[in-house]
Amino acid sequence: MSDAMIEFREVTKRYAGLVANDRLSLTIRRGELMTLLGPSGCGKTTALRCLTGTIRPDAGRILLDGRDVTEVATHQRELGMVFQNFALFPHMTVRDNVGFPLMIRNLRKEARATRVQEALRLVRLEGYAEHYPRQLSGGQQQRVGLARALVYRPKVLLLDEPLSNLDAKLREEMRFEIKEVVTRLGITAMYVTHDQAEALALSDRVAIMNRGRLQQLGTPEEIYETPNSRFVAEFIGLSNFLEGRVASVRGATMTVTASGLSIHTPSLPEVAPGHKVLLFVRPNEIEILPAATPADTNVFPARVEKTTYLGDTMDYRLMLGEGVELRVQADARHRYGAGESVRLRWPRVRSWRANEE
Amino acid sequence: MTLLKAYLRGLREGWFVLGYTLCVCLSVFILAPFLMIALRSVGKGWFGKLWLPPQLTWDWYRWAIEVGNIPEVMKNTLIIGVIAVAVSTVIGIFAGWAFGRRQLPGKELLMAIVLLPRMIPPITYALGVAKIFYTLELVDTHLGVALAHVSVCAPFAILVLSATFEGLDERVLEAASVCGANTVKRFFYVVLPLIMPGILASMLFSFTHSYNEFTLTLLTYGPNTVTLPVRTYLAVGDGYWEITSAMAVIMVVPSLAILAMIQRRAKPEKLVGGFKGV
Ligand SMILES: Nc1ncnc2c1ncn2[C@@H]1O[C@H](COP(=O)(O)OP(=O)(O)OP(=O)(O)O)[C@@H](O)[C@H]1O
Ligand SMILES: [Mg+2]
Repeated sequence: MSDAMIEFREVTKRYAGLVANDRLSLTIRRGELMTLLGPSGCGKTTALRCLTGTIRPDAGRILLDGRDVTEVATHQRELGMVFQNFALFPHMTVRDNVGFPLMIRNLRKEARATRVQEALRLVRLEGYAEHYPRQLSGGQQQRVGLARALVYRPKVLLLDEPLSNLDAKLREEMRFEIKEVVTRLGITAMYVTHDQAEALALSDRVAIMNRGRLQQLGTPEEIYETPNSRFVAEFIGLSNFLEGRVASVRGATMTVTASGLSIHTPSLPEVAPGHKVLLFVRPNEIEILPAATPADTNVFPARVEKTTYLGDTMDYRLMLGEGVELRVQADARHRYGAGESVRLRWPRVRSWRANEE
Repeated sequence: MTLLKAYLRGLREGWFVLGYTLCVCLSVFILAPFLMIALRSVGKGWFGKLWLPPQLTWDWYRWAIEVGNIPEVMKNTLIIGVIAVAVSTVIGIFAGWAFGRRQLPGKELLMAIVLLPRMIPPITYALGVAKIFYTLELVDTHLGVALAHVSVCAPFAILVLSATFEGLDERVLEAASVCGANTVKRFFYVVLPLIMPGILASMLFSFTHSYNEFTLTLLTYGPNTVTLPVRTYLAVGDGYWEITSAMAVIMVVPSLAILAMIQRRAKPEKLVGGFKGV
């Protein structure tokens, strides 16, 4: 038995004039919760629909549990899915909605009732069995959708932005509930979202998509700590970018000149002086020090332009050297005011090779 | 100042009274002929300048039913109505599905053609139908008359059912498939219940149309397929006003029953089966 539960192999789907999925290759392991993350319109739902079989990819294969299902009809793929817009059956009560997959599978009535009861308890909707979808709030409908997807214990659960219609508090609650349920039942889950916080909090691995392509695949830490492109870095969290040229390479470190500053950073493979690179620092990875701090490696003078109080942190906009604007988030206990001169220490700088124009 | 205000208020109330009076007059105007017929159907010895009939009687109804052979006629009307409804609904379901669910090339033109029988004068249309039916020997058969009715009932069914199918949520159907339902189960458990209000509405409308249809029946009926409107019309020729009136009233009763049914059952929100949160 192989380790892969879901496999996209070079899946391509074109719509008139645009490629919604562009040679998408992705493997989701058994029991894993993978998040598909990307901006609106990048082809996440399209990928899920290729997997459910409601649309046919123009090219590529899709494997479920080692079996090629590209030509298999939707109803034979044995998937559970929570839809972006609930898609409950409006003419059925909550009980019948949740019981639908069981009824289709000709489960006996008593067995069905117990399973439905179980599923409703799981999503904490026991009291609503006789309600119709239109009588429920958005969050409750969403949970009915989850119960319907889980009720026949599918091996694979797909969730298409299942929390997008909920308020912030409920979203947070449901996030952990879903994670808990999926882990407890040992389901392989593919979770689609465009909310990066959700993706980081939930997933075993995150797949970042952009314009129908896979940009990066990795654990939440990998994605956050070592983004492989400017797109990923920008999409996951705030970032500062600086363009520069390599001045010298000395073993594992190199010196980059950017906006008149000499910045030390771990060197890149096959990099030579003169190469163009893009430097990247997270706002919470910069330390703000008093102006009197002695000069050192990666310590630069700057001036505070604007401050914003965010509760536990302060958000600073600083001007560095020759007109480079930086964003820094630091502890709110020690504050600097606008106009104040400070020194910034960059303990950690990452870089990528940039294209030469 | 106060005088002016009082005057304005008077004017406003005057308008209200006037409007109300007009509404009542209109109702009377609409209802008057019917009241007249209803009265005549139960009046006896109602001649000359009398305001109201001097005597009331059910005799005319007995006469109407016996002489006019109403049970037979009613049976014809119902058989024709049921056939017309069945055929129109089946046509409506298929055409409505095509119109509502598919990207048809030239959709507007097709819809216009479908609605054509309703637009051209019935008599013009009826003449053509009659001509064809004579050659096909469909005249004076229940099926023939019903088929003639279909030409006006089906456009209605198609119109109503196209809207119904258009309102079907694609994502709900997708959900049914993902839940494991094949095409047949999906149709019976999800599609059919969701379009049922539309089907009922189209059946009701088709039936009332067939039931009231006169022109098309007149040119395709025969001794074995006399319907209520035609029988009533023929009775006028016989010259017995009281009996004709009784027939007319008999004819109205099922229509009123259907109207009551529609008012009771067909709630607008039931017709669309919409749901919150999308
Ligand atoms: N049926 C369709 N016909 C034509 N274009 C489509 C169709 N469905 C999707 N698209 C296009 O394909 C692209 C990807 O759509 P998709 O629904 O997969 O986006 P998404 O990543 O799910 O976005 P969101 O986060 O907003 O749900 C979009 O640009 C969309 O306009
Ligand atoms: Mg989507």
